Amino acid sequence: MLEVRNLHKVYPNGTVALTDVSFRVDDGEFLVVIGLSGSGKSTLLRCLNRLIEPSQGQILWDGVDVTAASGAELRRIRRHIGMVFQQFNLVKRSSVLTNVLAGRLGFANPWLSLLGVWPPSDRAMALRALERVGIRDKAEARADALSGGQQQRVGIARALMQEPKLILADEPVASLDPVLSHSILQYLEQLNKEEKITVICSLHFLDLVHRYATRVIALKDGKVVFTGLPQEIDKARFKAIYGEDAVEVRAGMTA
Amino acid sequence: MSVPRPLRTTLTALAVLALIAFAWNGSQVDFARLVNSLSKGWPLLQDFLTPDVLGREIQPVTLQLAVPVPCGSAAEAPPAASGPRLVPSVPCAAPRDKFTVEGFDLAPNTELQLRWRLPSGQYFPGPFITTDADGYFKAEFEARPIVATKDGVPGQIEVELQVEVGNLRPSPTLHIVLDNVVVTIFMALMATVAAVVVAAPLSFLAAQNVMKRGPVGTAIYYLTRTFFNVFRSYEAIVLATVFAFWVGFGPFAGVLALTIVTIASLGKLYSEAVEGIDPGPVEALTATGANRLQVVLFAIVPQIVPNFLSFTIYHWDINVRISTIIGYVGGGGIGYYLAQMINTSQNSKAGTAIWAIVIVVWVMDFLSAEVRKRYT
Repeated sequence: MLEVRNLHKVYPNGTVALTDVSFRVDDGEFLVVIGLSGSGKSTLLRCLNRLIEPSQGQILWDGVDVTAASGAELRRIRRHIGMVFQQFNLVKRSSVLTNVLAGRLGFANPWLSLLGVWPPSDRAMALRALERVGIRDKAEARADALSGGQQQRVGIARALMQEPKLILADEPVASLDPVLSHSILQYLEQLNKEEKITVICSLHFLDLVHRYATRVIALKDGKVVFTGLPQEIDKARFKAIYGEDAVEVRAGMTA
Repeated sequence: MSVPRPLRTTLTALAVLALIAFAWNGSQVDFARLVNSLSKGWPLLQDFLTPDVLGREIQPVTLQLAVPVPCGSAAEAPPAASGPRLVPSVPCAAPRDKFTVEGFDLAPNTELQLRWRLPSGQYFPGPFITTDADGYFKAEFEARPIVATKDGVPGQIEVELQVEVGNLRPSPTLHIVLDNVVVTIFMALMATVAAVVVAAPLSFLAAQNVMKRGPVGTAIYYLTRTFFNVFRSYEAIVLATVFAFWVGFGPFAGVLALTIVTIASLGKLYSEAVEGIDPGPVEALTATGANRLQVVLFAIVPQIVPNFLSFTIYHWDINVRISTIIGYVGGGGIGYYLAQMINTSQNSKAGTAIWAIVIVVWVMDFLSAEVRKRYT
């Protein structure tokens, strides 16, 4: 269980990104974070694994205070949290296999990994992860030779190498064709349902939210303005989250 | 106080013009001298443009002319009719007689020393002469008693000539120049390799995105950057002078000077490459729980390899150029040879060195461009 208590984030330039954000995520949930661009979704997700340092507040994960952890302890916490990014964040010039193996760095022998030596068990695991997202045949290709959808699948495979209990997905489909959105989200849904991995995912399109979320929190100007089930987001709430001028746009192709 | 815009523009223009006028004076610009003194520069330029590249083997040949003193003391030698030859104005002479000797078809514009070869086999020096453009000279002689015939052997007037024989082949100068060019290229290579070994790790310490986290990292960042900036502002030629006194004149001094300048220069270029990477992979691998060194190796290094390679090859190319210059102040290699030849007015040999430098720089330029094209 993840518990966020009174989280604040103010950037050094004075931008207030998060104000008094509190929520709980039970194990096995598929929590979707919605809100306009700049509402603080990315900051929130990055605070959870401390890629961004929160200014105030507490994050407790299975009773461990993530906000208090430092150095080696923080790395031990991070290696159980997979992360998937809008821009995939692959090393473009490296092979797909190397990118996937890099997900295992937190567990690997530090010295051997620096030499690029991986135990056969890790290699086998990487190939299984690629198999799982359907691109095992691309293992030797350079990452930038793959299409966007394939690159995001590499990103998921990299997260799988961590055998994560939690996956943070920051707009995982925003850089992809709407057609591909479902294919990526279905992989996340599958991991959520079959492996009982908790997923916290930020999304843009409401129809995707309705289709995949078990629960939703909405951010507006860094504050939580809604917490509840996806079907509870009616016209009034929609306007409250996205503003008076907003019109709902669909990703289309409901699977 | 506000100055109206047109006035400000005029004032600025006047200030710039005044500055240029001062600069004109200060740098002693004198175009008249440039044109009038063309006759001084032209021969030098011609020598530079006609390098000493090919030559024939040189053999010493001694021309001899027997002059019996007094007349009748030995057989007179009839002068040769053609080829390099010495012709006396008299076939024989009485002691204390004065006569002239002419030389024909010798090497043109060459300084030679005439001498007497005495009957005893010893030499008695004669006058220095310089042949004209046709290889001709005329010199005064006096039949001193010391050159008198002894036991029927007459004294002889001699001149030693350097005669070219055989086929054209690379001149000795070309051999020396090529050796020195290789030394220069190796100097540049050594300096570049040594600099890469130091600069590559240091460059990460001078990259904001790696180091600007926490006070210690920031301090190291500024320290490394300052080091790069300070040593980049030292010209290699200044350092080469210092090292030439320190470790002695020669290529090693040049390599040391080049290495330091290259560390600073490459370090700066590398660190900018590190700062220019896509931060996404760094973020992604940090999120997996990788440590700092693992992140650098897996997320940053693959991104900078093409730039590092390209900068390194480019810098080797630059270093070949610089090392010719620092050779000039005692850094060894082709630059040192060029300096020696110019200082001793051996301008054709200097020309060979100049052409060699030009060709090497062209070739390095071309090769480095090709290699960089392939890796980026």
